[in-house]
Amino acid sequence: MGLQSNGLSLEIVGREISGRPVPGKPRRPTGPYLLGLPALLLSCVLLIPIAVTVVAAFKRPDGSFGLGNFAVMGDPAALHAVGNSLAWIAVALGLVVVGFLLALVSYRLPGLSTFLQPALVIPFAVSVLVSGATFRLIYDATPERGTVTAIWTELFGSSPVWLGPGLFWLVLVSAFGWTWLGYVVSLFRAGLDAIPDDVSRTLTTEGVTGWRRLLALELPLLRPITGVVTLTLVIAAVRVFDLVLIVVPGPMQRDADVLGLNWWRATSTGEPAGRTAAMGVVLFAIVAAVAVIGVRGLRRRRWAMPVSVVPVSVVRPSVARSRPSRRARRIGWTVGFAVGLIWILPALVLVATALHSPREAGLRGWWSLHGIGLESFAAAANAGLLRALLSTLLISAVATLVLLVIAVPTAYLVAWGGLPHWLGRVVTSAFVVLAVTPVQMYAAPLRDAIGTAGLAGSRVALALVHAAAGLPFAVLLLRSAFASASPVLVAEALQGPARQSAVLATVQRRYRPALVAVAVLEFALVWNDFIVGFLISGPGTTPLSLVLWGEARQFSASSGTVAAAAVVASIVPVVLLLSFWPTVVRGLTVGSKP
Amino acid sequence: MPTSRRAFLGASAALLATGCSGTADVLGLRRAVRIAVSWSGQELRAFHSVLDGLGQLDYPVEVLPLGDDISTAFGPRSARRPDLVMLPQPGLVPPHQKDLESMPDDLAARGRARLWDELLVVDGTTYGLPFKTAHKSAVWYRPSVLRQVGLKPPTQWSEWLYLNRTLSLSGIRPLALAAGDGWVLTDFLENVLLGSSPSTYRALATAAHPRPSEQPGVAAALRLLGTMWSAPGALAGGVERSLVQQFPDAIVEVFGHRRAAMVLASDFAEPVVRSFAADPDDIGMFTFPPISPGAAAPVVVGGDVMVLPKPTSDDARDLVRRLAAPAAVEPWIAEGGFLADGVTSGYSPELTRLALQLVTPGASLQFDLSDRLGPLGDINGLWRVLTDFLVRIGGRGTDVVPEAVEAALAELKKVEG
Repeated sequence: MGLQSNGLSLEIVGREISGRPVPGKPRRPTGPYLLGLPALLLSCVLLIPIAVTVVAAFKRPDGSFGLGNFAVMGDPAALHAVGNSLAWIAVALGLVVVGFLLALVSYRLPGLSTFLQPALVIPFAVSVLVSGATFRLIYDATPERGTVTAIWTELFGSSPVWLGPGLFWLVLVSAFGWTWLGYVVSLFRAGLDAIPDDVSRTLTTEGVTGWRRLLALELPLLRPITGVVTLTLVIAAVRVFDLVLIVVPGPMQRDADVLGLNWWRATSTGEPAGRTAAMGVVLFAIVAAVAVIGVRGLRRRRWAMPVSVVPVSVVRPSVARSRPSRRARRIGWTVGFAVGLIWILPALVLVATALHSPREAGLRGWWSLHGIGLESFAAAANAGLLRALLSTLLISAVATLVLLVIAVPTAYLVAWGGLPHWLGRVVTSAFVVLAVTPVQMYAAPLRDAIGTAGLAGSRVALALVHAAAGLPFAVLLLRSAFASASPVLVAEALQGPARQSAVLATVQRRYRPALVAVAVLEFALVWNDFIVGFLISGPGTTPLSLVLWGEARQFSASSGTVAAAAVVASIVPVVLLLSFWPTVVRGLTVGSKP
Repeated sequence: MPTSRRAFLGASAALLATGCSGTADVLGLRRAVRIAVSWSGQELRAFHSVLDGLGQLDYPVEVLPLGDDISTAFGPRSARRPDLVMLPQPGLVPPHQKDLESMPDDLAARGRARLWDELLVVDGTTYGLPFKTAHKSAVWYRPSVLRQVGLKPPTQWSEWLYLNRTLSLSGIRPLALAAGDGWVLTDFLENVLLGSSPSTYRALATAAHPRPSEQPGVAAALRLLGTMWSAPGALAGGVERSLVQQFPDAIVEVFGHRRAAMVLASDFAEPVVRSFAADPDDIGMFTFPPISPGAAAPVVVGGDVMVLPKPTSDDARDLVRRLAAPAAVEPWIAEGGFLADGVTSGYSPELTRLALQLVTPGASLQFDLSDRLGPLGDINGLWRVLTDFLVRIGGRGTDVVPEAVEAALAELKKVEG
């Protein structure tokens, strides 16, 4: 059996089988299964409530089972919310395309990312609530306060009401795009960088350029990354909830309604549990349908990246990727600087607003020179910000710690623990399903259970729920990392006597970035969370976002305070993600490099 | 990099350790008394100052700002049942009476005061105590613009319409309307309804199944309201701007940017008015004028009442007792924007006038109607109907009013179920 690649002929020589064939299955020790036990227990925190919700959705008030509860979806308001949720998924998919194109541009114009990279990471690090508040500041209807309104009025005399009917979509989508674009670009860029130069050069010499090149080379090679990116963005799009709450003024909230929000209103106005459960199931079905398409890349055991046969270090200089001309570098640098500046502007608006007194921030925009000082920070501190910070730090740290302790052995078990093939697939599929399950599927039974257990208000209980919710994604990511170890090495280790330690030694070099990625992302995610804390523990647990949300209810009068609280809330995740970003991207795209 | 990373981890561990050692309540391990409030911004900070003024307590106190969703605090599927709710919709007390603990006997009499008794007392038992009273018939304005057109604050509804017309003609927008907050719209309607047909108001407030769409008085009030809102140039910024405006925005429009003359805002707007006024001497206030000559001026009263969800604890009872002490609310009174039930002194001149009107014998006082209509008076009921009504008529002239009233009544009928 032979194969040809890049002008090299490779031949694989087999060895004759000696000895007699032995019937039966290889012995599978049960020891490694214990590694999965903690994960199973933690997952029950989600699995049991999900089961309760599913049963409730199909249970009629009289106790029999049927589809009666799903009649709630015939309600025009619910249908409208479903439509909006689908529109949000379209927005997410559009963002994937835009991010991919941006990554292509930045790949062709090196130098672009010098400034663009940090500018793109910062929005990803701040919470949705913060980015919503920022964009509400920017699009404020008053020319004295709203940046866009001020510019528009200057240019055209008068300005439309950006937060008004119809136009609030622009504000919502801007805020969503601002948050997520950096993530999309970074991941695609990492994938593009991993394409070996000889492959792309071969295609170039064969005259494959433009769209054909895109279709023949980049798109197929980036399929796994596209899967991860699409999955994350679709989940984010369906979870849109806090963004609507903070950005859209009351009278328009009905138009902006999404399924998650509709569900929450239904539960808080005391609709029958069966009907709200049915809504949760519909929400889940939508996500699952889209995720199944997006996740196809994930199902492979390894990212399907080409492996260059000749190590890059010994490649003749002429074969290596050509250094771009000075002009191209300069253009890239300039464009990158300009785009980076625009991208960072919302963050600057937020900081500048926070540095004004509450009075001046409410009266005039961030560019005003009046009333500069730290008064807004003092006001935010008086609103209980510091206590909320401490509480949030605690919840995030505990959740991250628990997650790591449980996810690592589980990922090892799934990747190399010798699970039967079918069981491995079942476990993986279960984790994929759990990863995309919207919080509405388990929130109601879970908070009832927490309340009954007398744990209402316990930060530790909330941290455990967070850890459980983060577990599936962490296991999937770490599994890819483990699986990326060379199969030959692992196979040898598995046959040998020093089984566990050898495998661990083989894979440990590779899982480090993934481990950092999981830890950093989980910490930032829990830190920035609004919806899980809100739906499960109620507003009482005062994580940071809830203080922000409370303040944002009187937006202009509190804009200085909101901005100050948002800045303080963002420092930790921004510093964390900026310092670990390269490692996080490597962890997320782990296995994409040989 | 490794050193800085280690330093960072070390620092966060240290911070975590200090956080854990002193504050078991941050962990949620020590049981705090949780107070659910609807306040935010300045009001929330003022309430914190009230709590600070209570002195050393034996238990931690945690404030949960629930905003407009406060009614979920003791719903059947509440996320976390608070120990004490500052309920801004006392109308919810009778329907939720079985979820509530009765008030301590020594305090119960305060819940039996005029206006409050029919909301807080069920079968002779008091389930709530008034904490904060709101006068919802106050209109804040800039005296300078009235002087500019040579007019005085209106003493009749017709005078008010005339004032609006005169201001528009001189290029001044009369009204800033905070339609972003649904309760501002319902407050407006309630004042007109109470002024024009007190009997309808009363009937609706006490009905078991109120059907406002079938009341001619409601239709008439809508027509009156429509006349004011539909006048071209009456609303600063037009309908679209009004829709995105929350009540502080409207106040800033009047007193900060001086783009409008008047704003309907309760007594609790006072601190916002004062902190954003460009000219601190240019602040005036009048109360909602009578609708017709000889009729009484409407006074719509709102407020936050303290209720104890079941089961309660001794700590929660103790906190209620402390908060009910007249001296407890002094820090908030000093900051402005706070009326205490039955107290008529110690306020700013404007608030003193409002407080006096609340105790005037024979005044046409009624408790906030939308708070007594249940879900009908809520975000999906009256708020939405009035928002749509405003969108249909805003700035389009009186010709569109009759049709819009019909549409509003039809919508109301739909939500009445």
